Amino acid sequence: MKYDFLDNVLLSRLGSLPIESRVPMMGNVAGKHRSPHRGSSVEFAEYRKYVAGDDTRRLDWKAFARSDRFYIKEFEADTNLRAYFVVDASGSMKFAGKGDSKIQYARRIAASLAYLLVNQGDAAGLSICTDKLHLEVPPSRRAAHLERFFSTLNNIEPSGETGLLQALHTIAEKISQRAFVVILSDFFTDTSALGDALQHLRYRKHDLSVFHLMDPLEIGFEFDRPHRFVDMEDGTALVAEPSLIADEYKSALRDFLAAVRAKCHDASADYQLVTTDTPLEPLLREFLTARLPKSKH
Amino acid sequence: MLFLNPLLLWGLLAASVPIIIHLINRRRHKTIQWAAMQFLLKATRESRGKKKLRHILILTCRALGIAALAFAAARPIASGLLGWGGGSIDTVVLLLDRSASMEARPGDGLEARRKIILEQVATAMDSLGGARLVLIDSASAKAQEVPSPDVLAELATTAATDSAADFPTLLSRAAEFLTETPGRSEIWLASDMQASNWHTEDDRWAAAKASLEALPQKPAVRVLSLTGANASNSSLQLLGSRRTGDELLLDLAIQREMESRGASNIPLTTRMDGTRTTETLTVPGQSLRFQKRIPLPENSETGHGWLSIPADGNPRDNAVFFAYGPARPVKSVIVSAPGEASDYLKLAAAPPGLGGQSTEILTPAQAASLNTSDVSTILWTAPLPKDAVAESLESFLSAGGQLIFMPPGQTDDQEFLGMKWGPVKVAEQGKFFILDSWNQSDGPLRDGIDGTPLPADRLRAIQRQIPLGDAAPLARWEDGESFVARRIIERGTVFFLGSIPDYTWSNLGDADVLLPIVQRTLAVGAERFDAAYLTSVGSDLTKTFPGETRRRLDDYGTPDAANAAFEAGVYQLGDRLLAVNRPVAEDAPEILSREMLDAALDGTGHTLLDQAGQAGDPSLSRDIWRAFLIAMLFFLISEAFLCLPKKSSTQVIPEKIHA
Repeated sequence: MKYDFLDNVLLSRLGSLPIESRVPMMGNVAGKHRSPHRGSSVEFAEYRKYVAGDDTRRLDWKAFARSDRFYIKEFEADTNLRAYFVVDASGSMKFAGKGDSKIQYARRIAASLAYLLVNQGDAAGLSICTDKLHLEVPPSRRAAHLERFFSTLNNIEPSGETGLLQALHTIAEKISQRAFVVILSDFFTDTSALGDALQHLRYRKHDLSVFHLMDPLEIGFEFDRPHRFVDMEDGTALVAEPSLIADEYKSALRDFLAAVRAKCHDASADYQLVTTDTPLEPLLREFLTARLPKSKH
Repeated sequence: MLFLNPLLLWGLLAASVPIIIHLINRRRHKTIQWAAMQFLLKATRESRGKKKLRHILILTCRALGIAALAFAAARPIASGLLGWGGGSIDTVVLLLDRSASMEARPGDGLEARRKIILEQVATAMDSLGGARLVLIDSASAKAQEVPSPDVLAELATTAATDSAADFPTLLSRAAEFLTETPGRSEIWLASDMQASNWHTEDDRWAAAKASLEALPQKPAVRVLSLTGANASNSSLQLLGSRRTGDELLLDLAIQREMESRGASNIPLTTRMDGTRTTETLTVPGQSLRFQKRIPLPENSETGHGWLSIPADGNPRDNAVFFAYGPARPVKSVIVSAPGEASDYLKLAAAPPGLGGQSTEILTPAQAASLNTSDVSTILWTAPLPKDAVAESLESFLSAGGQLIFMPPGQTDDQEFLGMKWGPVKVAEQGKFFILDSWNQSDGPLRDGIDGTPLPADRLRAIQRQIPLGDAAPLARWEDGESFVARRIIERGTVFFLGSIPDYTWSNLGDADVLLPIVQRTLAVGAERFDAAYLTSVGSDLTKTFPGETRRRLDDYGTPDAANAAFEAGVYQLGDRLLAVNRPVAEDAPEILSREMLDAALDGTGHTLLDQAGQAGDPSLSRDIWRAFLIAMLFFLISEAFLCLPKKSSTQVIPEKIHA
């Protein structure tokens, strides 16, 4: 495989699982996702009274025969889904404890989901954000587009402070139609501002999914000796005895995680806290299964 | 605190190891690129305070644990005597109280205090290892090297004596010795804390302490006190001895311990001229003062003997010794104009029928020819002497003579020793001058031996003259003026009586007051002739002059030839016959208080080990390494407790996580 973040075996196993949207999508072409508009699918939606100008071909004559009234039979419209993968490329995403770095793990998730989406006829786009750079790959349904997607992912070099919040606001403003927005980040930013950004996206009626990526070392904070900690974003250093401050560290982290989770919940976002040592297949399988409509089970 | 293995104290340096490791660890930190910096910064801010204190406590416990181990390994010895001085001692100077009171046993079946203290000191010295022991005993006050603590109790210079102790002198001697002794030294004062041996008011303490201060290395001063209860004990004291013709009059006292109650029968054995007689005395309370008359053999010129009571808690205070010389008449001189006063004084000074007393009457004009060499007492009823006569009387007083001045009956500005007579005062018509108070325990108006007071309140005076000047009043008139005043001039005493035995002045001529005053004064004055035969241990008289040899004459007890100079007994010193008794002060029960001791040794940084009630315990020091091991365990357990990981109340990630 050309890209180390792609796993053919994984993709083939997950290929049978569709990626569903939790909100009706407004695509350009027909697809397999619900649309807010009535359409020509085989899925019955509702009856409504005939009004002048309606297409008479859609009159339900059987209903007219039973009730002597004109009813129009309406069907659900199916459309395609446009997904935006927002990947945080700040310096903190470069952190790797013992396994993959957070950015590498984000690559694997984004690439796998993009592949599955394009494979089922949906469009996948990519947005990479740092404080200085905001790369964007517009969503496309074409298989050839995936190469560009993967290449951009592959070329991410995390650095600097995060520009995630600004990027989320930009995306919310920029995407006119409903979309499936997948955010991959460690969210080391102001949680209050994060809530605002998510609410902005929610206001635009996007389907939000959040992958909160953390390294196991960041959560466990298990060190056996003093360390000099150098900030990966701004380079500031701090010498500390981890065993002395572990409790306070974990307490602060706990508050942070709870805050992020609450903000996502407030924005009706699908929140996933993931450590980078998590096997990808069960994670994605659970993610995709949970998104399936209940009626289809 | 002392250490038997002081070299192991270097192990204390190991106490710094945990701190050094901590510092090295802080310097040898690992650098890591870290993403979750915001939590780290917050945690660092919040962990200051309790966490830091906890960490410091952990480090302290580790350091103290190692230090306690090092202390325990160094075999520390601690006690009140050895104190907490630390380090090793090069020289110990032992100031040993060998006074008679040190022979008292602190309880039945126990050794004398002196022996107990010697055993304790020997044990403590063994604990000190190779420290040099120098003894300065209270009897000889000379420094002596002790070859080994084991032989301390066997030395002649630690044996029992009948002497008194003088601690200011001993401390000065110790300071003198230490001026030539380099190294770290300590002075141990071993005593039963009898107050009379300490002379706490003496100016010599200041000099002794100044000498200690001047030493290049100030020694530690430790007081080993062995006070507490005594085994049952009674002491026999000889207060005075006087030969009157063919009779020897001994003033004696028996003293029982302070706690004794009820009467007690005590056998008194008298030994003289090969004859031993025993009589039983009933002591009604804690003390009995009595006189014993011993008839002397016919034509006896000199002789000696001893009296004793049975052995008890202190074997050194059960016997007294006496000696006497040729009979000497008690001679007095009356300086007075002829008249009623001189007649009464003559009757009082030489009562008819009382052999051995004679008096001579001189007129004031004849006083210039007064020869005082064989005179016991001078009764002076005339203007105060002046010039050569006054000088002669001062010499008489210095030699131990007694002098009684009575009013001359006229106003006179003449002074004698700063004293003079006031004007003659006459009582109002129909009234008298009456005595209001007088000293009933001291002076010529004191109560009798049996406690009977003198009928001094019968004295009535029409005329009086008040003695003016610096003298101690012993009796006062009702208006507070002095009737009897006393000045002590070296060995002699001068009295001023405010009236004369003349019925135009007072009824002093009645025997109630005048006779006891004169006879008591005569007795005291006569003792200066008998004093040559009686002295106490340690006095100048007991020293041998060049050419003299000391030979003990009595057969009481078992004399110690090596300590003959410090033992009571009857001795022949060349041509001199001398009865030597222990100092009366040795029987005084007063114990030095802590405050008085602190005042005496103020500035020396002394420590007191009071062994009261611990006479049976021969050790002055104890190994305390166990205490340090326990301390070490305590510190290590504390450290482990502090290092226990704190239970987290909640998990970092409380809910579902993909991990």
